[in-house]
Amino acid sequence: MAFKIASSPHVSTSLHTNTVMKRVALCLIPGIAVQSYYFGLGTLIQLLLAVSVAYLAEAAVMKLRHKNIKATLSDNSALVTASLLAVAIPPLAPWWLIVIGTLFAIVIVKQLYGGLGNNVFNPAMAAYVLLLISFPVQMTSWVAPQTIAMNHASLFTSVQTIFEINQSFAAEYFRLGIDGITMATPLDTLKTDLSMGLTTTESLTKPIFSGMGAEGWFWVNMAYLAGGLIMLKLKVIRWHISGAIIASLFVCASFGFLISPDTFVSPLMHLFSGGTMLAAFFIATDPVTAATSPRGRLLFGAMIGVLIYLIRTFGGYPDAVAFAVLLANMCAPFIDYYVRPRSYGHRTGS
Amino acid sequence: MLTLLEQLDKGSLWQSPGGIHPPQLKTLSNQSAIARLPLATRFIVPVPLVGEQATLSVGVGDKVLKGQSLTEGAGFTYLPVHAPTSGQIVAIEQHATNHPSSLPTLSCIIESDGQDTWCDLIPNSLEQLSKLQILDKIKQAGIAGMGGAAFPSHVKLNPASEIDLVIINGIECEPYITSDDRLMRDHSDEIVSGVGVINHLLNPQRIIIAIEDNKPEAAQAMQAALNRSNLPKGVARVTVIPTKYPSGGEKQLIQIITGKEVPSGAIPAQLGIVVHNVGTAFAIQEAIYQGKPLIERVVTLTGEQIGQPGNYWLPIGTTVADALQSVHFIESAEQKVIVGGPMMGYALAELDVPILKGTNCLLVPSHNEIAADVDEKACIRCGECAVACPALLLPQQLFWHAKAEEYDKAASYNLKDCIECGCCSYVCPSDIPLVEYYRVAKSALKIEAEEKRQAEQAKIRFEARLQRLEDEKNAREAKAKEAAAKRQANMKSTDKDAVAAAMARIAAKKAQDSAASSAPTAGSTTQVPQTVVDPKKAAVNAAIERAKAKKAAQANTVSDDEFDKNTAEVNVDDKQAKIAAAVARAKAKKAAQVNAESTVQTPNTAETSVAGTEPPADTVDDKKVRVAAAVAKAKAKKLAQAGQTDDTTVTTEPTTDAVDDKKARVAAAVAKAKAKKLAQANQTDDTVVAVEPTTDRVDDKKASVAAAVAKAKAKKLAQASQIDIGEAVSRPTVGVESTAEIAPNVALTATADSAELSPEQIKKAKVAAAIAKAKAKKLANSAEQEEQ
Repeated sequence: MAFKIASSPHVSTSLHTNTVMKRVALCLIPGIAVQSYYFGLGTLIQLLLAVSVAYLAEAAVMKLRHKNIKATLSDNSALVTASLLAVAIPPLAPWWLIVIGTLFAIVIVKQLYGGLGNNVFNPAMAAYVLLLISFPVQMTSWVAPQTIAMNHASLFTSVQTIFEINQSFAAEYFRLGIDGITMATPLDTLKTDLSMGLTTTESLTKPIFSGMGAEGWFWVNMAYLAGGLIMLKLKVIRWHISGAIIASLFVCASFGFLISPDTFVSPLMHLFSGGTMLAAFFIATDPVTAATSPRGRLLFGAMIGVLIYLIRTFGGYPDAVAFAVLLANMCAPFIDYYVRPRSYGHRTGS
Repeated sequence: MLTLLEQLDKGSLWQSPGGIHPPQLKTLSNQSAIARLPLATRFIVPVPLVGEQATLSVGVGDKVLKGQSLTEGAGFTYLPVHAPTSGQIVAIEQHATNHPSSLPTLSCIIESDGQDTWCDLIPNSLEQLSKLQILDKIKQAGIAGMGGAAFPSHVKLNPASEIDLVIINGIECEPYITSDDRLMRDHSDEIVSGVGVINHLLNPQRIIIAIEDNKPEAAQAMQAALNRSNLPKGVARVTVIPTKYPSGGEKQLIQIITGKEVPSGAIPAQLGIVVHNVGTAFAIQEAIYQGKPLIERVVTLTGEQIGQPGNYWLPIGTTVADALQSVHFIESAEQKVIVGGPMMGYALAELDVPILKGTNCLLVPSHNEIAADVDEKACIRCGECAVACPALLLPQQLFWHAKAEEYDKAASYNLKDCIECGCCSYVCPSDIPLVEYYRVAKSALKIEAEEKRQAEQAKIRFEARLQRLEDEKNAREAKAKEAAAKRQANMKSTDKDAVAAAMARIAAKKAQDSAASSAPTAGSTTQVPQTVVDPKKAAVNAAIERAKAKKAAQANTVSDDEFDKNTAEVNVDDKQAKIAAAVARAKAKKAAQVNAESTVQTPNTAETSVAGTEPPADTVDDKKVRVAAAVAKAKAKKLAQAGQTDDTTVTTEPTTDAVDDKKARVAAAVAKAKAKKLAQANQTDDTVVAVEPTTDRVDDKKASVAAAVAKAKAKKLAQASQIDIGEAVSRPTVGVESTAEIAPNVALTATADSAELSPEQIKKAKVAAAIAKAKAKKLANSAEQEEQ
């Protein structure tokens, strides 16, 4: 009689990596929906493009590495990476932008480092930064929120724009606000205005800031926050990183705002504008590239929060999520090395 | 702030970090009372069941009774093994045991006679026995921890420190297992009376019977039994704790009950806490009040592949196969048979292995219950394992380093504090068998530590050996020194020079005895040293002086006093001078052996040339010179024995000293060989000798070659007429009257030149020496002819 030998434990949970990844992707849906509402269906096209390219690229690399293609694709990590990149870039950006970005994220940032679990940098953010630096014009051409936009992009016109079929529907066309002026993102507008000597109060009278915080952006952020809270509830992520990002960004922004409300952006604007919530719940929480112990994660999150604030306020870019996350990624091994929990039976200091 | 005791009485609980809540699945087996299975016919009792090695007290073929001890032993942690039933020992052999490795262990195979006859049992009461007797009785009953670890209980009941708190562990946090649950329900009074024995032995301030809240019946039964018992009021209490795996772990239970952590590497007794399993309490009671040794235990037989899951009294030694068969086990494909629970139990490779004292459960799951193994996927560092870890470790980091075989780094993450509870593996979304990695890493570290320890031992041994050899050597040297000192003392003189002087005197006397003819006056000898001031030259001169003094001694009847005076002068010089003196002495001997007046000249040529060529050698190395001198001395003796004509060969040697120590020695050896040949032959064999120098060229010593050439020439010259001698005579710078005097002077001039040039032009010196030699030979030959 030959009996099966195995090492204990013989049981395990049913929550597996692919489920975790799938849940992350599903929790993105509220955010994607709201984003599509305000900024057109271009986001969905980008999403479709990104996911297809991501799976193809991953399959190709797996074939080259002589690994099981199906097993790797089924872990859904490529899906998450592609989705995050797709929602991060302007909805009507040309098709090759997302293709380049996704290829870079999957092939270079993820697979060349050894695949899932071995990458140092968050693939979506590394790709975002690559695109931002290489194609700054395309990467900053956000369309105007539909509530205040002059032209609305339908699915058809979106396709035409993204695939550069009809030059009359250039991305610029959809950036015009109702006042006929090309619109920038709220953070961009603020940054430009502040540099031009306007006060925040003066800047905030612009149509882009109608509604709470900033038109469209506030609700997009709220939707990502909702998705994040669902993930917390499902225990897909732990609260440490997200909590630390929001807390540190809030503390920094409040500090600046209290000192000089005219030249520093309000904390609310910081939290609910740009990619703050997306980063706090979906991007920075990527466990592979984050610190791993609870205390380490608090540090990691706090660092991202502070970096976001510093780069937004004093740096050259209106938003800073990608840079902040990548910089914190670099520090994660360092944090992990120095921040270790006290083990059972070891008194403090040991 | 409440004291710990007050909090214990209140039932305060603390949080243990981490932990998981796996499906309990306990109702499968805890629905019926503990039952008995039909007696098996064959039992396997491994002899070193627990604790130290013991000797068998039975042999093959012996009849044994139920409860009879099979072993004897005296060690502190020795635990006897008992026959689980009456019958015959059919074999004592290596047999696979109940262990993940199935490694064979020496086992008694007992065939049951079906009678199940007890041996004589001696029931006692606590009052009858002293504490030591109680402890011995527990030991002799072979009681080991029944929770799984099977640590000898009498050791834990006899701690070195004061015990304040005893925790009776009825947690049973592993899924499926219900043996303690059923034991508490069915035998609560016996357990409480066992607790009474523990209380009597340890006299703690509090006894906590801890039970998880998923066993309310057991908790009730224990509380009722406690109320019925005669334990002092207020000492013992039942504390129900929330269900969480692994609360039953000793360290975790202590943390939950007291809030204290057992320091890493320490045992609970150091905190004044001891934890005993309820099963152990029951066994202690059986041993004291019934006199029964530990020969059976409650085992949960469970899993969907078992027809009648439940708890059964199984004699220790019953094979797993027998036990499973009697509860209608249905084997499925790729069946796992797990000893213990699903979290920490191990799978058996074969079933013909015995139930042991720590075997609390046999789990035979179906594929619905425990899924087939899945492939390990990449760690995404989600950190869920760290959240679940009750030891507050970072399993993801441990895994990272364990997988990379960086075991030292894994150790730095406190790998040794891992209790292998399996929580991390349980929660891992990537199905990584983390505990397996840690086991491998722990074993590797253990092996590494052992190798390090052995290497350390080997190093200590090696160093001790070196020290010993060194000591021995020193002792030998000290002894030799002592002996040398003794010898010197015996010679009644500590001064080597004095010895040398004495020897020289002896030689001089000999010469004196044999001297017959006259020689040049001693006056001429004193003139030569005055011409030189250099210490080396002085040494040379001293040597020459001595030689002349000898000659004088040979010629006249010079008194010993004068000789002493000469040697005293020598003493002023350095070692070289002494050596020269020694050489001179040796030659003096030779001279002494030669009686004829005319032959006196020949030894002189040899002597002077030897002494004369030495200084250039001195400039190179002191040792070399001594060696060469010794060699020369030895040869001189030989030559002296052979005949005066051979002396010429000796002169060739010292010249080589100037070049190199080795070369010199080689040359010396060659020269020696030649000298011997010469000694054996006479002058007519010279042609043979002349051929030999060719071999010297192979040794690339120009000096020796030159010497050889010089030698050959010298010989040829020696065969030639006296006209050549006349030429040689014309050379001396110091005016002399007799031919006897010419030779030393020729040598001396050559020597003086070479001494000055030697630092830069050793070769020239050698050549000069060779020429001098050649001339000396000529002189010698002429002397011979004169003799003839």
